[in-house]
Amino acid sequence: MKFMLRCQQASELLSQRQDGELHLADSARLRLHLAMCGACRNVGQQLELIRRAVRQLSEEQSAKP
Amino acid sequence: MTLEAQLAALRPSLMRFALMQLRNPAVAEDVVSETMLALLEKPARFEGRSTLRTYATGVLKFKIIDVLRRQGREVNIAAGEDQSVDDAIDALFDASGHYHDQPAAWQQPEAALHEQQFMAALQQCIEGLPPRLARVFMAREWLEQDVTEICGELGITANNCGVMLHRARMQLRECLNQTWFAGAGAGAR
Repeated sequence: MKFMLRCQQASELLSQRQDGELHLADSARLRLHLAMCGACRNVGQQLELIRRAVRQLSEEQSAKP
Repeated sequence: MTLEAQLAALRPSLMRFALMQLRNPAVAEDVVSETMLALLEKPARFEGRSTLRTYATGVLKFKIIDVLRRQGREVNIAAGEDQSVDDAIDALFDASGHYHDQPAAWQQPEAALHEQQFMAALQQCIEGLPPRLARVFMAREWLEQDVTEICGELGITANNCGVMLHRARMQLRECLNQTWFAGAGAGAR
């Protein structure tokens, strides 16, 4: 992986980040990319929202009578 | 109310929960029945620790994971079935790996979490995922299994698992973007 990330790679790391800690170098590359790229920041927030929504759905499904 | 009656009242919600993950009414039925029996056999286990609903859902999760583990490699999942998702995700990016249409911020995402219709849209998007991706995604997000566990059960590499989770998440993002957030992003900076 080159030093500078492309958005496609950034989206892969945003996903990986939800499954465990990234390697230090990947984490630094991602942070740098996010600092410069609003589109990827949006995608990151949206993936987080999806995670929360799915977990909420899971709770709601089992809580509804 | 007797425990039997309380469990009977819980059954529809347990069924919905199981179906979201298993996608097979007969298997979901079995796993819910097993859960209810397990609770009837050892009612003392949950008393005073949590509500019956929370406890039953917890037991159900374990039973579902058991079923998935048993199915594991038996499930003959065609590797090519999620090709359409692969293509759709690839189509988001140009040859240099940048977005064709820059994803814009979603309007009032927090408010969406409180809307039942949003939850219904999400459910539909999940149901639209190809079975293989859905299985991995739901094991991760619905049953909160970790990646090592999921790939172990499916006999796939962690890397492959990561690729599938990425595809599932991006596909759900696309689906919600189109169906709920009204195509936020087209032409945005």
